[in-house]
Amino acid sequence: MRSKFYILMVLALALSTLYACANTNSIIRKHPEALAGLTACSECHESTLGAMNHQATDFYKRHGSFSGANPQVCAACHQQSFCSDCHSHKEGIKPSEKFFIDAPERNLPHRGDYLTQHRIDGRVNPVACAKCHGRQNNERCKTCHR
Amino acid sequence: MISHHKKSAWSYFNFTRILGAVAAASSLLATPLMAADNSSTGYYSLSGESDTVFRMRTNIEKNNIYPIYEYLHFDLTKTLKDGSSASFYLGGWGRADLADKSTDKYTDGDLQYGYLSYRAAKNNVVINLGRQFVTEGVATERLDGVYLHSDFAGGFGAAVYAGKPVITEPNFKGGNVVYGTRISQSDSQYYTVGLSALKSERENNSRYREEEGLDLWFHPLDQIDMTGRSTYNSITGGWMEHAYALSVIPLDQLRISADFSHVNYYDYFFNMTASSFSFADKLIDPNEKLTTAGVALSYLPIKNLTVIADYKLYNYEIARKAEYFGGKVTYTLPQSFAVGIGLHRMEGKADHLRYTEYRAYASKQIGRANVYVDFINLEYNKRINGVKNSYAVTGAAGYQFNKTLLLGASMEYSRNPEFDSELRGLLKITYAFDTRLGEGGRKNEK
Ligand code: HEC
Ligand code: HEC
Ligand code: HEC
Ligand code: HEC
Ligand code: HEC
Repeated sequence: MRSKFYILMVLALALSTLYACANTNSIIRKHPEALAGLTACSECHESTLGAMNHQATDFYKRHGSFSGANPQVCAACHQQSFCSDCHSHKEGIKPSEKFFIDAPERNLPHRGDYLTQHRIDGRVNPVACAKCHGRQNNERCKTCHR
Repeated sequence: MISHHKKSAWSYFNFTRILGAVAAASSLLATPLMAADNSSTGYYSLSGESDTVFRMRTNIEKNNIYPIYEYLHFDLTKTLKDGSSASFYLGGWGRADLADKSTDKYTDGDLQYGYLSYRAAKNNVVINLGRQFVTEGVATERLDGVYLHSDFAGGFGAAVYAGKPVITEPNFKGGNVVYGTRISQSDSQYYTVGLSALKSERENNSRYREEEGLDLWFHPLDQIDMTGRSTYNSITGGWMEHAYALSVIPLDQLRISADFSHVNYYDYFFNMTASSFSFADKLIDPNEKLTTAGVALSYLPIKNLTVIADYKLYNYEIARKAEYFGGKVTYTLPQSFAVGIGLHRMEGKADHLRYTEYRAYASKQIGRANVYVDFINLEYNKRINGVKNSYAVTGAAGYQFNKTLLLGASMEYSRNPEFDSELRGLLKITYAFDTRLGEGGRKNEK
């Protein structure tokens, strides 16, 4: 019991020291430029921020890696509502229906009649589907998959 | 603000600083509340959006339904003079069906997130309390709980979170608690390496999910960027997924991207709760292993014109392989004009996994108005419900009254294996707000 307490104390002290020595500036809470549409970050930024260029063909595929590595960067422009439109645990409207006016060039999943096509896509790569429907947002699926 | 400290190594162990850090760490949870009181040293801002959506459509049971939805999200923030901030974020939706009140499902709703957040000006200290979406390495989770993040010396950073997973069904058999961490080491210019773990337990403390991951992000040059993650399931004792992506920009106008993944179904789908992904339903074969490899070339011959060619291979240990390939040409003038055409082919070795996909869209901004048409057609090699193809035509228009108010409407006509002919309509009113209260804070924004 006592030794546990000491270990915790030492750990807390070590962490505090490391914390105090980090001295980095936090990523800004709100991006200074208000941007609309898929944005070419690389027009204004270099290195890793530039790599998040939203116009890159593979950004959509890779945005999960970027946010998994530094969610604070995304938060500078996106509230969680933006992510929830696709990453919902419960949702009634497909992203492609909700955002019809905003941007036809966006990569919204499930455009058109997806009830038919999902049978093929879901067989070919169920892994991609499970990321969003595996443990949530699957109330609808139950009408057919019991 | 912490002042410069080029003196000696000792100054790093400056006692008052350590004490300060300890005090800060322990009082951080109280800070948002204290900050909110301290109105003379900062300003408040309130921003958010309301989307009211009215739909007309036919459901799977072929009844007409007229649901109305309200989506609302906002962010109330108090920014302090030192650059730190305390915020309250909320997002959710509600629905009522105007035609069919016969079932108890005619109203529904969801709290997507609702949390208090404190963000310090230094060290990327973040404290979130409440319902939130956490993405940290292996975690892409929505939970009711707490999230903490901080940078440490030597480019290290750490995040921890714990809470109750957010579930949608009352009879859910999933986890009771979920917690995890991610520790990263990075040089903000060139690379980030992260180690993460997530654990979730059932009510009877039995093991439900235990996932560990290694994530990498290399950016050695502005022309090369690589990201990837390997995830391990320690309940099944096997790798769930390896997924890596690389992009290379040899010329300003050319981008080559490649991706690779390998998934073991048994380890990946273990304890999934959706019936379509559970082994019990026999749709997922636990012995299957999938390897994918994809490559895409995107070329900009002139500004705003993009030509893309892509190919992806799906190779299985048991099922027969499938290939997806095609191309797309788009011309986009941001906020003004966009057209695109695309053609793709899914070529599964099994007959029922073959289709051709056509898409064409155009949108144009005319003053405050915006019009848009979209056509998608899928041609199946093997008839589904006796039908060979599925198409949908969507027409939409929007009108921006002013900075805050946008009105939009869309109609979609489709013929497909589920519906002989279906007409759907949607009306959307978007109201955005962004106000700043309190005394002159402009200078505080970086
Ligand atoms: C029109 C130019 C412009 C574009 C486009 C742009 N930014 Fe920025 N960004 C800025 C400016 C100016 C700053 C403030 C100065 C700075 O910190 O570099 C900034 C700051 C940031 C910061 C804060 C950096 C810090 O250390 O606090 C992040 C993160 C960021 N931008 C990310 C992005 C991402 C991601 C994109 C693309 C989706 C993007 N930006 C697109 C101009 C731009
Ligand atoms: C337009 C829809 C859309 C939006 C908006 C969106 N995502 Fe995603 N996200 C996806 C898709 C689709 C995938 C799965 C990609 C794949 O692996 O096939 C994904 C994958 C991810 C993953 C990886 C999940 C995993 O298990 O590998 C993370 C993390 C993620 N997204 C975070 C975010 C965050 C954070 C936001 C908001 C800033 C966001 N996403 C917004 C569609 C979206
Ligand atoms: C500088 C601001 C900025 C930053 C930082 C930023 N984004 Fe975005 N992002 C945007 C804008 C603007 C859009 C277009 C939204 C729209 O059209 O409604 C967008 C769109 C997206 C989309 C939709 C892509 C599609 O094709 O539909 C995803 C996904 C996304 N962002 C994820 C992220 C993630 C993940 C991060 C953090 C790694 C991030 N963004 C950081 C500004 C930003
Ligand atoms: C980024 C998250 C995300 C991914 C990845 C994803 N979905 Fe969805 N899906 C959604 C959302 C959000 C909805 C809207 C919910 C609804 O209509 O109830 C939806 C709706 C659906 C629907 C109902 C479609 C309709 O026309 O009404 C089907 C079927 C479906 N998804 C299947 C799949 C399959 C199969 C995959 C994998 C190939 C997949 N989804 C991948 C988020 C996702
Ligand atoms: C209208 C009924 C219906 C709905 C709703 C529905 N599905 Fe399906 N789904 C089917 C049918 C039919 C098949 C084909 C089954 C077969 O080939 O044996 C299928 C196949 C699949 C497959 C491929 C399985 C395989 O290996 O063949 C997946 C994955 C899947 N559905 C996931 C989902 C998800 C996730 C949702 C909810 C977002 C959903 N489905 C909603 C009817 C539906």
